[in-house]
Amino acid sequence: MDGNEVVLSIRDLHKSFKKDDSELVAIEDFSLDIKDGEFVCVLGPSGCGKTTLLRIIAGLEKLTGGKILLNNKEITGPGSDRGMVFQEFGLFPWRTVRKNIEFGLEIRKMPKEERRKISDKYIELVGLEGFETSHPYELSGGMKQRVGIARALANDPAILLMDEPFGALDAQTRNLMQKELLRIWSETKKTVVFITHSVDEAVYVADRVVVMSARPGKIRYIFNVEWERPRDRASVEFASLRKKILAELEKEAVTNR
Amino acid sequence: MRAVFGDSERKLLKSVIIIVISLVVFVLIWWALSAAFPSEYFPTPYDVGVAFIDSFQNPDPNTGVTMWQHMSQSLVRFIWGFALALALALPIGLLMGFSNVAESFGKPIVEIIRPIPPIAWAPFFFIVAGLFWGPVMPVFLGAFFPILSNVVFGVKSVDPLLLDAARTQGAGKPTLFTKVILPSTIPYLMTGIRIGLGIGWMCIVAAEMIVAIGGGVGLYIRTMADVGRYDYMFAGMVVIAILGILTTELSGYIERRASKWMGMK
Repeated sequence: MDGNEVVLSIRDLHKSFKKDDSELVAIEDFSLDIKDGEFVCVLGPSGCGKTTLLRIIAGLEKLTGGKILLNNKEITGPGSDRGMVFQEFGLFPWRTVRKNIEFGLEIRKMPKEERRKISDKYIELVGLEGFETSHPYELSGGMKQRVGIARALANDPAILLMDEPFGALDAQTRNLMQKELLRIWSETKKTVVFITHSVDEAVYVADRVVVMSARPGKIRYIFNVEWERPRDRASVEFASLRKKILAELEKEAVTNR
Repeated sequence: MRAVFGDSERKLLKSVIIIVISLVVFVLIWWALSAAFPSEYFPTPYDVGVAFIDSFQNPDPNTGVTMWQHMSQSLVRFIWGFALALALALPIGLLMGFSNVAESFGKPIVEIIRPIPPIAWAPFFFIVAGLFWGPVMPVFLGAFFPILSNVVFGVKSVDPLLLDAARTQGAGKPTLFTKVILPSTIPYLMTGIRIGLGIGWMCIVAAEMIVAIGGGVGLYIRTMADVGRYDYMFAGMVVIAILGILTTELSGYIERRASKWMGMK
């Protein structure tokens, strides 16, 4: 791939939920092409359907209209070609760090030595050497999410889906994990779709920031962020872009009152 | 050199001292009560101690066997009943927890049978299942329901996030069952086993009092009561207490180990 190929193509996505007798439209007219190696942040007010969007891409929820193509193949259900990282980690408490990371490989009946090689690689990548045999309850939140990222990457997915992955962490750990994620991203060259409600986080990590409108969720605006990384949060352009995005979000909050 | 106690040692020492005091007070109350009543009905702790030792050394004339054999008879029945309960309650519980149809089907039957004390079945089982299985079946019933309801609850308590995580890793239904639902249910299963052991143990003794033939601690107690050897009757009760404590401790230990192994401390 030359870096300009579209990995994920979302076309006219529509999602509605049946609630009693009425129909609740969560997402409509949502179309987006995501290129290979791109880091896309989806930002929006709470309840705008951004998590639902990610769950649909992951195949955990069914769409009610439109389609999603991953490498030109329509998504019909969950699969290991999309790695998912959850806000609340979703680690298997009875499995060690290594066994958590090897979960998907184990399902595919990969031989033990091969599994070990891969888990070793990702344990090193996320910086968890020495914790291979620890259980999740022995780890801090940031370390848990490192396991979550390694587990998602171990299947070598075409795309990494991250649902507010640092939302459960304290501010300091959060900033550290953003840096770590960018390092991992540049080493693995994975395509990332990252859901967040933090404007600061989105501007810090993303190539493109997609701002969604409140229910029903549509694309309101797309900001391209073409600055070098690591980005300086204290810089003038950082602050001004953040202000611009916040203004977009605020309009959203006002029009939907 | 001076002995130095850490905090944890001091705590342990303290609780051991309290346990010893508690036991001494218990024996003193027993002694006082036995002094207040005619001694042939209410033996002293000393008489019971003598009878206890004797019951292990010499076969009693009424049944012709020692306490060792009574104990092993009871244990064999208990293990059969418990193993049967576990072998059936686990798969049925998993099925009822997993499938709504199975639960709707099973629940009414369970709710009808559950309130009947297992012992109330003893005469019936004695008639239809015979000398050996008669007293085994109340143990089975007593242990079955706590295991069943805990397993059903365990399956229903599986964290949906873990199921989602497994599905995004490529897990299909069979894998979800074996690699997510089953392990998440183990701590609940262990709780069911612990409760089932306690209830099952009560059932075996009670059932043996009603129907056992050939041996068993329950039978021993009833026989000794019938012939008026209350010191030996009490010795039988002490045996039950000791075995009961051992099973509770053992299952508590297994439960703790399991939850530690499961990373759910």
